[in-house]
Amino acid sequence: MVNTSHVSMKCHKCDERAVIRMRQHRLALCRTHYVEWFIQQTQRMIEKYHMFTRDEKVLVAVSGGKDSLALWDVLWQLGYHAEGLYIHLGIDEGIRYSAESERLAREFAEERGLVLHIINVAQAHGETVPEIARRTRRGRDKPCAVCGLIKRHDMNQAALDLGFNVLATAHNLDDEVAFLFGNVFHWNLEQMRRQSPVLPESPGFARKVKPFCRFSERETAAYSLVRGIAYIEDECPFAEGSKQLLYKDLLNRLEEVEPGAKLRFYLGFLEARDSGRLILPREEETPLELHPCPRCGQPTTSPGLCAYCRLFESESLGTLGTPALPK
Amino acid sequence: MAVVLILRKQEYQLEGTMTVKEALKRLNLSPESHLVVRNGELLNENDVLRDGDVVKIVPSISGGGW
Repeated sequence: MVNTSHVSMKCHKCDERAVIRMRQHRLALCRTHYVEWFIQQTQRMIEKYHMFTRDEKVLVAVSGGKDSLALWDVLWQLGYHAEGLYIHLGIDEGIRYSAESERLAREFAEERGLVLHIINVAQAHGETVPEIARRTRRGRDKPCAVCGLIKRHDMNQAALDLGFNVLATAHNLDDEVAFLFGNVFHWNLEQMRRQSPVLPESPGFARKVKPFCRFSERETAAYSLVRGIAYIEDECPFAEGSKQLLYKDLLNRLEEVEPGAKLRFYLGFLEARDSGRLILPREEETPLELHPCPRCGQPTTSPGLCAYCRLFESESLGTLGTPALPK
Repeated sequence: MAVVLILRKQEYQLEGTMTVKEALKRLNLSPESHLVVRNGELLNENDVLRDGDVVKIVPSISGGGW
């Protein structure tokens, strides 16, 4: 039986039709008020977690997807000095995934007159990420592990080389909650100690911030759609069947019947850990000694090359540096 | 005539008049993980779809990322 008596949903701030209802906030907003709310909330998070100030330059990790382009757009609208960093991973798989992502990131930057830095993994190493993954033990069964390692290393290196002490990623609530859920599910307490909206800078590491950590992925997607941001809609071909997607789907099924469950899980975790109610294993009495990797110079606990450089250790040491950035 | 819903290049047809929420439910898609767009306009879950409408379903969750 089809119910045909439907009441249209209005914006809570004006009489316009709502484009989104956020049950966890008991809030429905029209396109104008949604954009306004989204930008204000981002600024609130930047201040609440002391992410960065207006005097600092921010390097935004841009993938060409909805979240990272939305983050860059919001920081641009808020007037921050935010430049983009795109890492061309060389993922093709018949859909020109990386080429198309780069095109969209470039287009976004050009339309707004913003600076986009580009690293091309194949140009730097002679191999794409899928090729590196196939060749190395670390990535043979899981290219995402190699991809993550390369991105984290290159993002940090780029931030240091370009003189940014803040690196912003567009991790959203669903990313954070899926990560937390996976860590609880596998009792990976060590990872839980480090999960945070801000990871402070330390020698050799830029400060890492996640201004979208309290927005659901649905909210960031809605922002990109309402703002008319063109982003890569295809899923990364290697993400299909990933545990992260499975966890996100499970958690959204829970969110349907218990609005706000994801946000409460995440904030409850941060509060319990930071207040000392949740006691996670402390760092070693004597902290692990970090030393510069002899090849790239980034801090590592390994006795020799860092995990990133070990991906390329069969090649002659010294002939390959870390990816060169355009000047 | 029916409501045509396009999800990742795959086309689905549903008969009758229904809300966005009902359409997603009939396709067994979570409204927490999908948004619906008609003629470039983002729809809320109570917006009504009628015969002849062609809408795009946008998945909001993705894996990988940063």
